[in-house]
Amino acid sequence: MPSRGARPEDGSGLVPTDNSTQHKEDLSSKIKEQKIVVDELSNLKKNRKVYRQQQNSDIFFLADRTEMLSESKNTLDELRKEYQEIENSEKTKIKK
Amino acid sequence: MEAPPDPGPHASASASAAAPLRAPEVARLREEQEKVVTNCQEKIQHWKKVDNDYNALEERLSTLPDKLSYNIMVPFGPFAFMPGKLVHTNEVTVLLGDNWFAKCSAKQAVGLVEHRKEHVRKTIDDLKKVMKNFESRVEFTEDLQKMSDAAGDIVDIREEIKTDFEFKAKHRIAHKPHSKPKTSGIFEAEFSNDLKSKDLLADKELWDRLEELERQEELLGEIDIDSKPDTLIANGEDTSSEEEKEDQNINVNMMNQVMDSLTPSNCYQNVTNSELFNGQVNSQWNCSINGSNSYHNNEDEEDDDDDGGDNENDHDTLGAEDNSIPTIYFSHTVEPKRVRINTGKNTTLKFSEKKEEAKRKRKNSSGSGHSPQELPMIRTPADIYRVFVDIVNGEYVPRKSILKSRSRENSVCSDTSESSAADFDDRRGVLRSISCEEATCSDAHESILDEEQQENHQKKLFPLSVTPEAFSGTVIEKEFLSPSLTPHPAMAHPVLPTIPERKEVLSEVSEGTTKRVSKFKAARLQQKN
Repeated sequence: MPSRGARPEDGSGLVPTDNSTQHKEDLSSKIKEQKIVVDELSNLKKNRKVYRQQQNSDIFFLADRTEMLSESKNTLDELRKEYQEIENSEKTKIKK
Repeated sequence: MEAPPDPGPHASASASAAAPLRAPEVARLREEQEKVVTNCQEKIQHWKKVDNDYNALEERLSTLPDKLSYNIMVPFGPFAFMPGKLVHTNEVTVLLGDNWFAKCSAKQAVGLVEHRKEHVRKTIDDLKKVMKNFESRVEFTEDLQKMSDAAGDIVDIREEIKTDFEFKAKHRIAHKPHSKPKTSGIFEAEFSNDLKSKDLLADKELWDRLEELERQEELLGEIDIDSKPDTLIANGEDTSSEEEKEDQNINVNMMNQVMDSLTPSNCYQNVTNSELFNGQVNSQWNCSINGSNSYHNNEDEEDDDDDGGDNENDHDTLGAEDNSIPTIYFSHTVEPKRVRINTGKNTTLKFSEKKEEAKRKRKNSSGSGHSPQELPMIRTPADIYRVFVDIVNGEYVPRKSILKSRSRENSVCSDTSESSAADFDDRRGVLRSISCEEATCSDAHESILDEEQQENHQKKLFPLSVTPEAFSGTVIEKEFLSPSLTPHPAMAHPVLPTIPERKEVLSEVSEGTTKRVSKFKAARLQQKN
């Protein structure tokens, strides 16, 4: 009964665009994390239990595997979108 | 056209000189401001994380009662877990702080979380404001830096404030409104600063009184001894004011120094003030206030500076030989207060043999400039009764009570009352004057001086000569009048000191033909000489 801790939606784009480079780096790392999470979740056997950690605590709540997979996929999409937006804005700045 | 170029380089030079001065400072200012900004950013980040955590917690709490139980992994330390079940989903313990917890439902916990989130948001807002403020400041400093770097026509204008004005103002404030032109400015200023701040009121009263007394003195300066009683009565009657004065004397010991610097006319004061430094006069004053302590103090100090009190004793004893009329005449610094307190208006207490002995000793030690005076020591209540005695039929009888005005009819006081009102008044006046000598420079001083003169006069008659004793004001006059003094024959026999004393007084009164000279006058004369 292996269990897995997933931490979705850590940084949901709250940071302003002041230090965009730092934010961009953060985003890219998060995207990487999320990719791995999605991979792992998609490769799990069907009878595996998935636990989700409660933020800022050590308690892990049992969660549904498919739900977690879809959620993590969603977050990955969001992160990618954000990343794209930042890149686009930078490009436009460079063009200007 | 040559003129303009000159200022140009100069200005640029000054600017260049100012710029390096300014640049690092401005840079540092900017640094600090940026530091604040970054600090704010970090704090905001932290608070945002807290806010985020609270959000998650709120969400969890709001959904927790949805199910009756949850399958969870229960943490055992940071790395170990075991599967468990979360029951009591609607029971939460909330940390209130300092390891105090409150048990409440999930809904209430949500409310608490909301409240805390509000606080977090507030803090974030404040931090943002601060950050914004400092960002704008950073911009301003940047502009300043650019300006200072680029522009050479910005000049620093500096004006130095001189501190001299402040000092002067302080000194002036310290002055008395109707103070006379000062002779020693610095010295006085030092004292006046302290004094006037402390007791301005007493100061003013003192001044008024002084002026009044001076006027009185001028009026009475030429008057003969015969008219003395009147003035003395006047003195005797305003006891209250003199009490005040005495009090003032205590408070304003130092004040006298200031005064004498201000008023040259109060010559005797100068003398006494000089004594002030020795502390002798102080002791005397205290005596006059405390009454019974005076002799004790004088005894301790002995010697020259006993001045006023000694003089009184002198003339007391001197007068004794001449007179046949039984009159008791007492005059000493100590007594006035005692008189007032103990015996009322027309009585004085009698000092016992000790005093007389002291006088005698002093007299006998002729030739030596300093005549040590032994005075009764009053250290215990018993001593008081030893010192203050009544005279019944010429014998000493200890008083039953020193507090009562008069124990018997035939006490010393009664004697005095019998003798003559004028005499009594005279004595009283003397006493008073001594007591309030320092502060008032009243006509009473005249009386003292007068008597002293008489004393001197009498002394002259006697063969033995005593070198003048060293006093303050009175000494001057003594030297001035008579260099040689004689011990009193009456002093020779120690057994009956009081009766001769009585005689003396009357003799003074009757024989007082010598002209009165006030202390002031005497001092002035000396100054002239």
